[in-house]
Amino acid sequence: MELEKFSYDNKIPKYFAIACILWGVVGMLAGVLIAFQLAFPFLNLDMAATTFGRVRPVHTNAVIFAFVGNGIFTAVYYSLPRLLKTKMYSHLLGKFHFWGWQLIIVAAAVTLLSGYTTGKEYAELEWPIDIAITLVWVVFGINMFGTILTRRERHLYVAIWFYIASWVTVAMLHIVNSIELPISFMKSYPVYAGVQDALVQWWYGHNAVAFFLTTPYLGLMYYFVPKAANRPVYSYRLSIVHFWSLIFLYIWAGPHHLLYTALPEWAQSLGTAFSIMLLLPSWGGMLNGLFTLRGAWDKVREDPILKFFVVGVTCYGMSTFEGPMLSLKNVNAISHYSDWTIAHVHIGALGWNGFMTFGMMYWLIPRLFKTDLFSKKLASSHFWIGTFGIILYAIPMYWAAFRSYFMFKAFTPEGQLQYQFIDIVQTTIPFYIMRAIGGTIYLGGVLLMVYNLIKTAKKGFFVESEEVEAAPLSVEYVPTGKKFWHSFIERKPILMLVASLLVVALGGIFELIPTFLIKSNIPTISSVKPYTPLELQGRDIYIREGCYTCHSQMIRPFRYEVLRYGDYSKAGEFVYDHPFQWGSKRTGPDLAREGGRYPDSWHFNHMLDPTSMSPGSVMPKYPWLFRRDLDMSSTNSKIYAMRKLGVPYENGYEKNANKDLITQAEKISASLKIDKISISSKKEIISLIAYLQRMGTDIKSEIK
Amino acid sequence: MSIKVLDSKTCFHCGEDCNLSNIHQHDKFFCCDGCKIVFEILNENKLCTYYDLNLNPGIAQKIIIRKDKFAFLDDDSIIQKIIQFTDGNQTNVTFYLPQMHCSSCLWLLENIHRINKGVIISKVNFNKREVFIVLDNSKTSLRKVVETLTSIGYEPHISLHELDTNRIIKGSKIRLYKVGVAGFCFANIMMMSFPEYLSSNGMVEESIRQILKYFIVALSLPVFFFCSSEFFVTACKGIRHKFLNIDAPIALAIMITFGRSLYEIFSDTGMGYLDSMSGIVFFMLVGRLLQEKTYQSISFDRDFKSFFPIAVNVVNDDKNIPTQIDKIKPGDIIKVFNNELIPVDCILSKGKAEIDYSFVSGESLPVVKEAGEIIYAGGRQLSGVLELLVVKEVSQSYLTNLWNKDIFKTKEEMTSSIIHVIGKYFTILVLGIAILASSYWYYHNEYQLMWNTLTTVLIVACPCALLLSSTFTNGNILRILSKNKLYLRHPDVIENISTINQFVFDKTGTLTQQNKIKVTYSGKKLNETEQMNIASLLSQSPHPLGKAINDFLDKRNSIPILNFKWIDGYGIEGWIEEKYYKLGSFEFIHGNMNPNQQNNSTVFVKIENEVLGEFKIVNNYRFGFNQLLNDLNKEFTVAIISGDNDAEYKNLQTILGSKSDILFNQKPLDKLNYIKHLQQIKNMKVMMIGDGLNDAGALKQSDVGIAITENSNNFSPACDGILDASQFSNFNHFIKFIKSGKRTIMMSFFLSLLYNVIGLYFAVQGILSPLIAAILMPCSSISIILMTFGMTELSAWKNGLIKHDNSHV
Amino acid sequence: MSVIIIMLIGSIIMAGGFLIAFLWSVKDGQFEDHYSPPRRILFDDTINNKPNK
Repeated sequence: MELEKFSYDNKIPKYFAIACILWGVVGMLAGVLIAFQLAFPFLNLDMAATTFGRVRPVHTNAVIFAFVGNGIFTAVYYSLPRLLKTKMYSHLLGKFHFWGWQLIIVAAAVTLLSGYTTGKEYAELEWPIDIAITLVWVVFGINMFGTILTRRERHLYVAIWFYIASWVTVAMLHIVNSIELPISFMKSYPVYAGVQDALVQWWYGHNAVAFFLTTPYLGLMYYFVPKAANRPVYSYRLSIVHFWSLIFLYIWAGPHHLLYTALPEWAQSLGTAFSIMLLLPSWGGMLNGLFTLRGAWDKVREDPILKFFVVGVTCYGMSTFEGPMLSLKNVNAISHYSDWTIAHVHIGALGWNGFMTFGMMYWLIPRLFKTDLFSKKLASSHFWIGTFGIILYAIPMYWAAFRSYFMFKAFTPEGQLQYQFIDIVQTTIPFYIMRAIGGTIYLGGVLLMVYNLIKTAKKGFFVESEEVEAAPLSVEYVPTGKKFWHSFIERKPILMLVASLLVVALGGIFELIPTFLIKSNIPTISSVKPYTPLELQGRDIYIREGCYTCHSQMIRPFRYEVLRYGDYSKAGEFVYDHPFQWGSKRTGPDLAREGGRYPDSWHFNHMLDPTSMSPGSVMPKYPWLFRRDLDMSSTNSKIYAMRKLGVPYENGYEKNANKDLITQAEKISASLKIDKISISSKKEIISLIAYLQRMGTDIKSEIK
Repeated sequence: MSIKVLDSKTCFHCGEDCNLSNIHQHDKFFCCDGCKIVFEILNENKLCTYYDLNLNPGIAQKIIIRKDKFAFLDDDSIIQKIIQFTDGNQTNVTFYLPQMHCSSCLWLLENIHRINKGVIISKVNFNKREVFIVLDNSKTSLRKVVETLTSIGYEPHISLHELDTNRIIKGSKIRLYKVGVAGFCFANIMMMSFPEYLSSNGMVEESIRQILKYFIVALSLPVFFFCSSEFFVTACKGIRHKFLNIDAPIALAIMITFGRSLYEIFSDTGMGYLDSMSGIVFFMLVGRLLQEKTYQSISFDRDFKSFFPIAVNVVNDDKNIPTQIDKIKPGDIIKVFNNELIPVDCILSKGKAEIDYSFVSGESLPVVKEAGEIIYAGGRQLSGVLELLVVKEVSQSYLTNLWNKDIFKTKEEMTSSIIHVIGKYFTILVLGIAILASSYWYYHNEYQLMWNTLTTVLIVACPCALLLSSTFTNGNILRILSKNKLYLRHPDVIENISTINQFVFDKTGTLTQQNKIKVTYSGKKLNETEQMNIASLLSQSPHPLGKAINDFLDKRNSIPILNFKWIDGYGIEGWIEEKYYKLGSFEFIHGNMNPNQQNNSTVFVKIENEVLGEFKIVNNYRFGFNQLLNDLNKEFTVAIISGDNDAEYKNLQTILGSKSDILFNQKPLDKLNYIKHLQQIKNMKVMMIGDGLNDAGALKQSDVGIAITENSNNFSPACDGILDASQFSNFNHFIKFIKSGKRTIMMSFFLSLLYNVIGLYFAVQGILSPLIAAILMPCSSISIILMTFGMTELSAWKNGLIKHDNSHV
Repeated sequence: MSVIIIMLIGSIIMAGGFLIAFLWSVKDGQFEDHYSPPRRILFDDTINNKPNK
């Protein structure tokens, strides 16, 4: 046994870094576009691919999985070998991982824009891509754990634990949430329905934030902040403690996205309880990050990299404080469905993820190219621009949220609602504009960075790999009189993996329990019937066009909501909803009881030109729905799949489903005729109208 | 960094001031050749990062280590005792390096292989100050590695202590396991109890409840049988000694809660309170873990042997055979070299002995011994090689006897501690109430109520809040103190300190620095040759002052002096290189008496007919000592006892005032008796502050003995606490802080008692459901913890014990 | 309903595994030294022969 020479590869980190920045710009562009669309509907360009409903998922996915994702991989592929004194397990797998991931991103962008979506937020990608993701993720895992197994440094630095936890959790979340039944290439139904689906989705949704946007970036923080400041972590013990408590608590917090919904009471409270407990470990991490720079404030003053880190970590602290607050029922009553949530999310995304990434890039790129940063000045102006952008983004959103809340719950002395929904939309538009400008400014900062980094790269020469030497692990090492322990050293990383998996799974399972309770503790409502074939088709169009990005289907038991939208939603109403479409944001009104509210013709005109029916509406036009014929060939398989998932269509119904479909379609076109509207019953719009008219009617009819 | 080095003339290696020595290499200055050598080694091995990580990271290398000091490491029997593992071609060994102190050390020690190619792995465990080394026997040897380490200033601490191998404390790990298990069970039980608490109208389905219940029971078993075992054990111990300690009620409460819960669960009358049971256990284990952690920063378990060398050279027909210390027999002739400790009582047979006994007697000035005189173990030879005839075995020698005196036997356990007392009465009280209340209901045939009362009373009144308060307060106090380098042996010490009303300081090494004498030169600058000559002349003088000045000048080679005259009590004069030198007292130089009498000794320098200047020799008191004595003197009585001569009497008198005792020429036993006298006659609560071994007796005897050390790895046999010398001036703040701790405990006691009284009020009426009780109790505990924590932090902050260290990496 | 029982058992077993992992890493001494690891990462181990001073 003696010293071994080996080398750290810089190519893969470089690739990921470039991809990260590139996709970052793309994702933010999409964000800016949709931001302006909300203020100026004409920007939807009356084309399917450019409507808000389709671009918004592109924005979220691009930022989360392309920008942050590649950021994570950059950090891992750079820091992991250096922390473990070994080279990455396999260069080939690394390459595969890189190209695989980029391919997935491209596929995602294309499919989302062309309307292939599962209609579950942050998990919109359809099943073939889901499988691809799983594959690439596994490859990443192999590469990571392979590296850990072949390491030369005994101790696993805390950052590595964060990487491991992230990998394991994301793997599990992705799989559990994407269990879906394909009915054709690029179309599938989730196995869960209604409340179950909602619970699984938000368990996923919340943990996507936790384990994709947070824990890996904490790992990043624990490596790059000390490196950049050249001082050790404030408290290593704290970092370990807050790691375990974080992954233990995070996983339970999901239900706080469903407060006041039809979710069982106790599951909601569980979510709240754990969200509040989360504050401690989160702040543990934040303080640890900030205190690392204690006594180095002079450095911070001149070094833009540290500036980015400081603000990044501070934003983490802010949003992890805000989070628990938002999970308090009474606060959530205000924030849910409102722009508050948007602001909250963007403090995290722009501040925490964005700034940490920028800090890392400014530190990393010069090192990869063995030179100094092209311009410190530009970097710190980027910092100021970015900060200003965040502020200009967040404040209007908070403002808008409160403003609209008070307008929603304003009553006239006669006990009537004081404002129509459209009034509220109108007053919010100026804030949308300000927000859009804020976002644009932030993007401008990023472009500065791109220029700065390109110049930097040009200035230096790329170092493909760095030679190092280190001794292998000594197997005879005896920590405290234990002899046989060495066999364990190979096993431990695996245990770590298992460990985090267990913690996470435990959480997951306990959250899923209620979904199995539902059958028993939800009074199944006899009047709730499965969708007719036409309605089912209409529903899929509703999903395709991403209506859920602006419309909720979940009326909370508040006077001002019941008065505005109708009787509050019951869990039993959604038992046939694959997937659930509760939504998370109300840019438009809630649709849970839309059925029968307006005549068919109203919907017809409204979809053709929203402003014609409700002047001042910011909803896009959907002309293509009036051109395209409904694809009836899919009806058969859809009905079949639904029955497979437990929807009580009697056997063989799929055979003559289309007959019923046509008859219902003709009924609608007939009713339109009465209002002097002539349109073929084959058009997609018909089925959409059918669905809209069906919504929430089952219970209405029962009440009457 | 190097600029910094330039303008302030401090040693580039160790940062000590080196204005007199002009040892340097280009722009770098060094306080001694030792430092320079280390620097050169690192420099030629391209290890200068060592100096970049921290400024002057080294340790002064003034003491030259004898070349063949580690010859004994060639002896296989000794090697076997030291190493952990070897397969012939490769050896694993762990060394204890007390010098380790910063990230530079860490870096250097893990890059040893760049100096000694035979080292394959070197890994540091900084908390233990240990380095684990794997070496390639074909390329190097244990001795070579040790010499490499020594050559760069990290001499491994190899001592008799190594010989008795197992020195691993397993305790904390077990505790950590328990915490892990308890935490895991607690969390999951809580998780499974949630549905019960949260579903207001029993929304959780029955079948689920059933399953959950049994899982909860299963999870609670390890908590009850494994985690809480130590409570039961201590409780039983207490009872066996006819004494109810604080763990008794805890144990009882745990048992009752457990039993009642099982009853409820299996009789299907409820979900039990196992979550709160496991909660209690978890919290209390954490509390104790917190305490335990603070002790680890220093190990008290090392005995005086660890300060003796592992082997000495036995002279056997003029060959030196390295021999293990415990193999030395009376009659052996041993060689003791410069700056080595005399391991055993013996008679000087060859060489000029100059023994520094401060280690034993506290006398600051070395004692000169002639051949034939007896030399006691524990002294340190200061100049030249000695040959000694061993007269006793190690185990029986003077030190060991001193060590084994009865007074050094551990004090009887302090049962007086507040918690235990309260615990005792509290337990009885609680039991009484519980029985009374429940029997009352029994009498009224209200069986359901009776059960409620019995359990709720015990749950509510469970004094864990009380226990926690003291545990956490003390734990936190210890933590903060150890951050400030005052390490207490046991939380009980805190309680003792808060009762102290008499302070006794040892002078030498406590009030004064370890390197006893400070010499300052004032007057015309002396050039190199003049310094050399003076040194040479003084080396002829047996007077300690001469010696002191010589050390100060730090000249190794001296030139022969042809004719000189030494007049006792005056000075020395002589001719060197045709120049007439005269060194000595004012009178000796000027002829007349000194008009202004100084109380500290001065040596004047006269060359030819010109008085060039004077060397002042003063006792070097620790920074801020008089401030400290003043402050303490205000509130308490303070005394000073010293093994030293009374030169400093006036000086100290002025600080303490006439009424307080200042005693000199005290041998260890006198000191001990003095303490006894204070305790028994004046019945004072005495705190003795002394250094290491020479005050051992006194330290033991006093109610609280604090040993003061230059480096916290120093030897401290009998003390209740160790104070790092650098913190000496803050000592009174520590005392204030500790005393405030008692107040905190009392207040939190009161608070938790309040909780209990309120709780009991409802409990005895049986109107309090056990569930509520179970929820309330952890809440009270947590609030107590928060309060104690907050208060201790506050008072620590008030006393300036919380400062941000802007230490480098 | 049997599915829950299975899931519960599964989850507890898995959580137990996590616990074991924790105990193991305690035994392994991963938590023994809180000083070195955070500082070690700051040293660059690339073979750079620093210029003599």
